Amino acid sequence: MSTESSAAPPAESGPLEGLRVLDLSQGITGPYATKLFADYGAEVTKIEHPGRGDVSRRFGPFPGDEPHRERSGMFLELNTGKRSVTLNLKTASGRAILLRLAEQADLAVESFRPGTLERLRLGDPALREANPALSLVRISNFGQDGPYRDFAADDMLAYAMGGVLSITLMEGREPVKLGIYAPLFLAGGVVAAYAFGALTGGRRSGHGERADISLMEVLAGSMDRGGTNLLSTQYTGALGHGIHSIGSVALPSGVYPCKDGYFHINASIRWWDRLCRLLGRPELIDDPRYTERLDDPTLAPEIDALFLPWALSKTKREAMLEAQAHGLGATAIYTMEDLSSDPHVRGRGYFQSIEHPAAGRLEYFGPPFTLHGTPVQLRRAPLLGEHTVEVLSGLGYSREQIVQLRQRNIV
Amino acid sequence: MATQPSAGLPLEGVRVLAQGIVWAGPFGSMILADLGAEVIEIESIQHLNPTRTFYRHISELLREGNTGAGLANRDTSEGFWNRYTFFNYAKRAHKSVTLDLHSERGHELFLELVRHSDAFIENNAEGVVASLGIDWPTLSAVNPQLIMIRFPGFGLSGPYRDFKGFGAAMEALAGHTLIRGYRGSDPSQTPPTYHADPNAGAHMAFALQTALYQRERTGEGRLVELSQSEAVMHHVSHAWMDHELNGRLQEHWGNRHPSMAPYGIFPTAEEPGLEHDLLPYVALAVPSDRAWAALCEAMGEPELASDERYADVVSRYRNQDELEPRIEEWTRQHTARELMLLLQEAGVPAAMVNRQTLMHGDPQLQARGFFEPITHPEAGTHLYPGPLARFSEQPLSPVRAPAPTLGQHNHELLCDLLGLSEAEYQRLKADAVIGTVYTEDAT
Repeated sequence: MSTESSAAPPAESGPLEGLRVLDLSQGITGPYATKLFADYGAEVTKIEHPGRGDVSRRFGPFPGDEPHRERSGMFLELNTGKRSVTLNLKTASGRAILLRLAEQADLAVESFRPGTLERLRLGDPALREANPALSLVRISNFGQDGPYRDFAADDMLAYAMGGVLSITLMEGREPVKLGIYAPLFLAGGVVAAYAFGALTGGRRSGHGERADISLMEVLAGSMDRGGTNLLSTQYTGALGHGIHSIGSVALPSGVYPCKDGYFHINASIRWWDRLCRLLGRPELIDDPRYTERLDDPTLAPEIDALFLPWALSKTKREAMLEAQAHGLGATAIYTMEDLSSDPHVRGRGYFQSIEHPAAGRLEYFGPPFTLHGTPVQLRRAPLLGEHTVEVLSGLGYSREQIVQLRQRNIV
Repeated sequence: MATQPSAGLPLEGVRVLAQGIVWAGPFGSMILADLGAEVIEIESIQHLNPTRTFYRHISELLREGNTGAGLANRDTSEGFWNRYTFFNYAKRAHKSVTLDLHSERGHELFLELVRHSDAFIENNAEGVVASLGIDWPTLSAVNPQLIMIRFPGFGLSGPYRDFKGFGAAMEALAGHTLIRGYRGSDPSQTPPTYHADPNAGAHMAFALQTALYQRERTGEGRLVELSQSEAVMHHVSHAWMDHELNGRLQEHWGNRHPSMAPYGIFPTAEEPGLEHDLLPYVALAVPSDRAWAALCEAMGEPELASDERYADVVSRYRNQDELEPRIEEWTRQHTARELMLLLQEAGVPAAMVNRQTLMHGDPQLQARGFFEPITHPEAGTHLYPGPLARFSEQPLSPVRAPAPTLGQHNHELLCDLLGLSEAEYQRLKADAVIGTVYTEDAT
């Protein structure tokens, strides 16, 4: 069962009602962070370039692979619940409007190349003057300073520089990256958590925070066990290459084939008895040929020889359900179709169906957490500039003035 | 209840009790502590805290292995749980109290702490808090303003609510494992990753701040539920949307990109002396025709830029199989660092594949002061990765304190905060309700 929603923004509701976020970011990381604020009820005003809009309007995937700025899957997913205002920040009028919006906001988030905000004369002191309590979060690939400041990067490159790509590999092969944009989604969640802190700091002290966030640092300290691996090289001299499954040495660990696909399993040494029962071999639980060597990686092939015939006789869902019933952490390797029809995820009402005027009705991933008693209804992503008139009117601009701004391509 | 701060770090004055285990919990509470919250790790000497250690007795094999069991100086002697990387990285500036929650007195004292706290966060298996008598109905009766965040792997309801699994299990179910991995290899050759854990932790830290904001306006506490596997599904949005919009099931991309070519990870020459620090690979992205022309120039083959097989992104994409070996032939003649500097200068996005040992000497991280020395009373002085955001007005760095040793704050929290007498405190110690050393049969 999916819940239905077609209400257009900016119907304010949710736990963050009353907070105002000015979103100058583009792409994945910043928009995911501000999406969290928007989905939980903050008023998020997204500033887009007139005509072009957010770069993610060009990322796709598109229906029928036909590019269309209102039908880009990534834009639709990342901008739920936001208002879109087009503004040319290079013009004096555009800049003035932005500063008016800044007066009313609690938090601004930007992801321009370092130095851009200053070139637009929208850094401090202009922002501080417009609203001393406004906090600003600045997201960049490598930070606002340092020798790599102006380097270009994307998700794979930031992942490589963060040192984490060096552990995503199989012995003797080249590193292999994650799925499309995945590291940037993780970074978006991390940014959102620190951004909320920046916002709170500004609200409490009346003096807005300035947060400089480097994707390289975020990925180095968070992705996989990056932070702990970095410390591990300090603590033990260990090289930290090759990722090791937690608590597993000789027991099945990783991806295994089965009748209709694959499943993932992590079996800890402590769970040897559970594994024996799963395989229908309880007589091995106390067999010293195994129990005395469970922390010896060279035992792995012998245990795999017991495990593989079982695995190959099961479907991925059977393998998952039976292993879990025995207390072993196994999950099916799902396709999007499997995920979409999974009885647990669907049964929990995770997916939400949203109607969009250009993209139609689609199912979206739901909110990542729930405050019991305050359910979250996703609201669709905005059309480019959909809220320009409404927002400018709210600032006191007359109809004539708005027409003039539009004719001059400022909005 | 904690008092409202007038200034200081954003979450100063917010007291959080934490039973956040393994990596998701610690990563989230690290952010909360970075932001100034007083995070109190609830432990016991009867049960190993898996963030401190997986085993009461560590084998030679693990100690000598290439992870060194994660212990400072590979020192496995008594008290090794105070010298473990996971805990000492993520639990910086936390406090630690040990309470045997299975004992009546330990349980009472926990409820006393709840009465004095703003939040309790936990990612135990679904049924654990009920069996310990510290579930939401109990705790919210004790403290109606409490925020409790529960973030098990699969949520609090539904058929998988009791499922076990670390981060790699979450991403399998989320469909991520299948869309990544080596081109031309089956998924059994796909290395596991654990980004579902820090992802859950970061969302938990956001969720707590959301609930605190709501409480500020309503005065009410709240139960917050986060399913780690649902939170990580957003990472496959591209594949999900392709399925929604086109009914397409994406296969693994390897190191390729849906709309850029060439794009990937190319082998390079080894950098002498740095074989252990830098993988001999360069990550390369060509986002535009201009970048393509710059790459051709750098390769010393400017004529390639106008070659019709590669002139625009569509033809480059179609012909990348034959293009890649040509680029590889060139990248193999240079080190990854040379290639990065040369190509970035020329306007081509390129990055070396840093190995985590090299990171401490990385000029960018050094220039920004990312690593900071922390002295831990039992582990010594080391360089730790610092907070993941640099605040200029109320700096989060230097980190306020090292990670606590087991039970380090028992006296402070039980006597100073809860007002226990010295005699009572000694009795708790004698009865092993509290302590600073794991019992021999701790599990």
